[in-house]
Amino acid sequence: MAQRPTIDISGARVQAYPIALAPPQGDAAGQEIFAVLQADLDRSGLFKVLDPRSFLAPADEGVGEKSIDYSRWTSVGAQGLVKAVVQAQGDRLAAEFHLYDAPRAREVLQKTYALPRSQLRQLAHRFADDVVRLFTQDPGAFQTRIAYVRETASGKQIVVADSDGFGPQQLTTASINLLPAWTPDGRAIAFTTFRDGTGAHIYSVDPSNRALRTLVSTGDFATGAAFAPDGSRLLFTSSVEENTDIYAAKPDGSGTRRLTESRGIDVSASYSPDGKQIAFVSDRAGSPQIYLMAADGSGVRRLTFQGNFNQEPAWSPKGDLIAFTGRDEKRSFDVYTVNAQTGKIARLTQNQGTNEKPSWAPNGQLLLFSSSRTGKRQLWTMTPDGSNPRQVTDEPQGAFDPAWGPLAR
Amino acid sequence: MTEELKSKEVPPPRHAMTGAPQPYRSLLKPDPRSGGTGKGFVAAVVLHVLVIGSAVFLPQLFDKPHPLRKPVIARLVALGKPREANLLPRRESPPPPAAAPAPAPSRPEAPAPAVKTAPGRRPSVTPPRAPSRAELMQQALAGVSKRSRANPTEEKPDPDREGSPTGSPEGTSATAEEGDKYFTEIHDAIQANYVVPSVISERERMYLTASVTVYVAPDGSIVKSEFTKPSGNSFFDQALVLAIQRTKLPVPPPELRKLARDGLQLDFRP
Repeated sequence: MAQRPTIDISGARVQAYPIALAPPQGDAAGQEIFAVLQADLDRSGLFKVLDPRSFLAPADEGVGEKSIDYSRWTSVGAQGLVKAVVQAQGDRLAAEFHLYDAPRAREVLQKTYALPRSQLRQLAHRFADDVVRLFTQDPGAFQTRIAYVRETASGKQIVVADSDGFGPQQLTTASINLLPAWTPDGRAIAFTTFRDGTGAHIYSVDPSNRALRTLVSTGDFATGAAFAPDGSRLLFTSSVEENTDIYAAKPDGSGTRRLTESRGIDVSASYSPDGKQIAFVSDRAGSPQIYLMAADGSGVRRLTFQGNFNQEPAWSPKGDLIAFTGRDEKRSFDVYTVNAQTGKIARLTQNQGTNEKPSWAPNGQLLLFSSSRTGKRQLWTMTPDGSNPRQVTDEPQGAFDPAWGPLAR
Repeated sequence: MTEELKSKEVPPPRHAMTGAPQPYRSLLKPDPRSGGTGKGFVAAVVLHVLVIGSAVFLPQLFDKPHPLRKPVIARLVALGKPREANLLPRRESPPPPAAAPAPAPSRPEAPAPAVKTAPGRRPSVTPPRAPSRAELMQQALAGVSKRSRANPTEEKPDPDREGSPTGSPEGTSATAEEGDKYFTEIHDAIQANYVVPSVISERERMYLTASVTVYVAPDGSIVKSEFTKPSGNSFFDQALVLAIQRTKLPVPPPELRKLARDGLQLDFRP
């Protein structure tokens, strides 16, 4: 047979996967669970959650594979279809979730969870995590927690909340506290505090009981804690004799060792996900730029050459990108990424107020950052290409300095 | 009797000057020396049959796919300001709304080309009317002339460059073959619907490829499509099925109908 003509087609557009959440059946708590699930899927940037008003299927359509008229769902554009039955069992809720591939008329995921009614939102987060894992093979990050700084009348306080901003709990009560940083096991949050009245020092707080611990109290300026991915080291910035450098220490703050030795200011260290490299900010060449070095301080190289005020690097858990805050020629602060290999810079935010301090979700699928786009600074998420911005916090006085916690263990 | 017969015999031609006997010349009339039908006549009949036969049958024999050229994909330069290398980049943005509609194109029957949008993340606003090629050309030329003013070292466009008044400033082909045009239209039509779901991780998306054969009826409708080589990722394969289902293919030109009916292979790459 003669060879067929071949037409190469490339340059696919990427579009969110259209998914329908059929009205849940059973206990009324299902509605609340689905509201959380819908927000999770929407915030992920992976899914387009369809408007229930467009649905054609009757509300009492069964949840089983055989009882679904898939054409009613595909005709409204659904590719994924979620159905659930929620049942009360004493003070617990049992939720049975089904995910169907509507065009192929088959079930692709079925999960049943039971949790105390007080953890209703976790039911939704768990299923959302399982859905994300099914599609992307990455763990979901909806059950994680975030830390940030809340503006209050009595100063700036460290707060933890669910990854969607729900249930904020203030961990500190006085003074100015900044730059929270999670330990990799999620059991403590290190932060920079002025509570001693003798300059800035690094403390840690246990989010379960608010117990405080001193990590670095030497000198009069120690800030910007960052833990190695395996928890074995703690990086921070300290000023000694007017020279600001990056130091490494054991996770309890002992055994410090200086890593940088430039005459300029070296700050804001961030480990690569394999712990072998460190990104940091230095003004050794005249303006603050992102630099890389080996974990022992050797092999320093400059990574950014565009802009004249690049700071707050955050290394992606996937290792390829480093998010940072840059100031452009109009003196506007925005979030960018730079490829750690090639140095290629991409802009993620623009013309939307001041956007700062990116922090990666532990699965690398989202960035958390502070933005003044609606007035006071609040925390927002967006995908690593800058799309799908969603507001996370609603703090009356504002929120900033986000730090996304590790994956639930 | 014998004498009479001899008298009717046509005398063999003789040379005009020497009078020497010449060989018999006519190939159509039977040679009276040998008798029967002339060899030339037979040859002529055979030749005629061959010529007519080849005119009828040869096109079918040679009606094989001619080597396909790569579709001519024209991309237009975005209108904007060049950016200094030491500045932080701007975010990729959708093109500005279409300019005021220009006079109607001279050939209103020409189908409006599919408007290509950058594979951007923001859905672009659908213009009220797809600009014609001529309008796109004008916009692009305006952009090119501005750029060349801003950067005098840049080579000016050659005003006498060979091409088509409906071509693109970045086009590389002087003419478009009809076959190319058809395949390019197929490419553009399917590419416009080539959308993969974001749930496929970026790392996997970079390596997914698949081949689909589509069988196209003379009216352009797709009779059948089948995977020649699926990607192995069901979400990707399903996206391709959807892309083909949603595509209205152009009517194949008469000389390519058989080719289209026998199947065109679409190789999908990221």
